[in-house]
Amino acid sequence: MNDTWGISGPTFLTYFIGATIAIAIIAAVHRKALFRGDRSARVDNLGPQQVAYLNGGDRLAIYSSMGGLRAAGALGTGPGRILVRTGPLPSGVTPLDSAVYNAAGNGVRTRDLPNDQWVASAVEQLRDNLERTGLAVSAGKMREARLWVLAGLALVAIGIARVVAGIGNDKPVTFIVIATIAAFVVTLTLLRTRRWATDAAHKGLRDLRYKHNYLAPSNSPSYATYGATGAAMGVALYGGAALYSMDPAFAAEAEVQRIAATGGAAGSSGGSDGGSSSSCSSGSSCSGGSSCGGGGGCGG
Amino acid sequence: MAEQPPSYGVGIGRLPSYGVGIGSRPSYGVGIGWRPEIAGFVEGLPGLRFAEVVAESVHAHGELPTGLQVLLDRGVTIIPHGVRLSLGGAEPVDPARVEHFAAVAERLRAPLISEHIAFVRAGGIEAGHLLPLPRSREAVDAVVANVRRVQAAVPVPIALEPIAALFDWPDDELTEGQFLTEILDRSGAQLLLDVANVYANARNRGTDPAELLDQLPLERIAYVHVAGGAEHQGLYHDTHTDAVPQPVLDLVGALCARHVPPALMLERDGDYPPAAALAADLDAIAKASGYPVIT
Repeated sequence: MNDTWGISGPTFLTYFIGATIAIAIIAAVHRKALFRGDRSARVDNLGPQQVAYLNGGDRLAIYSSMGGLRAAGALGTGPGRILVRTGPLPSGVTPLDSAVYNAAGNGVRTRDLPNDQWVASAVEQLRDNLERTGLAVSAGKMREARLWVLAGLALVAIGIARVVAGIGNDKPVTFIVIATIAAFVVTLTLLRTRRWATDAAHKGLRDLRYKHNYLAPSNSPSYATYGATGAAMGVALYGGAALYSMDPAFAAEAEVQRIAATGGAAGSSGGSDGGSSSSCSSGSSCSGGSSCGGGGGCGG
Repeated sequence: MAEQPPSYGVGIGRLPSYGVGIGSRPSYGVGIGWRPEIAGFVEGLPGLRFAEVVAESVHAHGELPTGLQVLLDRGVTIIPHGVRLSLGGAEPVDPARVEHFAAVAERLRAPLISEHIAFVRAGGIEAGHLLPLPRSREAVDAVVANVRRVQAAVPVPIALEPIAALFDWPDDELTEGQFLTEILDRSGAQLLLDVANVYANARNRGTDPAELLDQLPLERIAYVHVAGGAEHQGLYHDTHTDAVPQPVLDLVGALCARHVPPALMLERDGDYPPAAALAADLDAIAKASGYPVIT
């Protein structure tokens, strides 16, 4: 009985790989159900900022508002890369527009906007509305979807433990190392997925992008012609890059990031995004998992 | 919303043997030059029945720009307008360019193509600009020979557009009217008249723009360009980046009083204004020509 933990290498590997695939599939099926949304919900009557939220979350909604205000001549940048008002607030604007415009009067930078009280509450209002209508994935559902990260981490921990035990037992560990790395990649993918639009909204967004193809930066659209709503929609559908195509100097001065507006598996790159930092805490369960490896030192 | 005249038919494009006008008799009214920058505006024009696209900007095979495809699907006629053939060059037109032009025309199911009476390259050097020809019999021969080469390769009629020039060549043998009529008569091509050019040329030479209209075979006009311009240091520049000034609109009226062309279009090439200003230009052209408003 020389097998580590009394299980032969090939048998362990088979179960391990099987478990990884199972987690990936079950998590995907679970997500499919969680992210389905309301199929009867429509996106064609949404405003640019709502579309922006579905495509790129809080940050893109704020960028979209900035695009509209900029095109209307109400927003600019001042010394120290702060946002400033350059004209009166246009009529018929959204609460988010008013909030961004108000913040600009207080000399904030673009990256501070999400932390502004008014802006945050306007975004929250926008988000709640979209979640209620089945277009946006709620934070709760996102958390639920991420529970599978824990299963993935447990698997990685078991893999590490097996490698440690195997080495102690003088067994070859190459395959299990590779399988553990694969499990780690699956876990990371589960963790990093951040989306805002439900599947129902996704289809509508695709149609919207086709319909507004003329706003794509590749057409170098004339925002003077399309006006503030066109500018806001351009940013909503084509991301921060649209702000660069419309007004490169302003976009650079305001330190707008060229975030993509895909709504897909865009990794949230930290910043003020509370969602990703909270999921980081689930990473701490990793240490708990590794203690499990300590317990498995029986193979030595 | 523009009402549909009974004679209007988009199927004309499939009947290349038809004669004068865009297709035969149908009048297309007011159109606009399609540019990617304002594609959304053009798409939103409810009464639009024809547009023009720069031929060199369209891929002969590959996918069409979405905005153009949408117009085609709607039954809007799209005329490819060449800017780089160099019909006025002493050397024969580049067969590859002609082939591309033909492929684009087929792609768009265009009933007509158009190019300039100008040269853009000579002796292997690209001017990057449309240059005027001396109005000599030799130049007429060169243009006619090149137009015939294009006609041999492209199954639909071609319309030729005279260009604006700030100067005349010193050894001109023919008047502008004689020069154009001669080219059109000998090649059988149609005329693409740029009213803003006519205005600019006359204005900068101190002559009466309406005079040239009387010298041209107006019944050969396939369609008309109307563009904006601006005055700099006493000279009128045909910029295509400004609003259409009243004198140009008046000249459109003078043209239509003599002969109503089948189609007129706004040619705007940059510094695009708010949608309302573009719409105002289109409405002004409709008003001056008597065609229905398309905005």
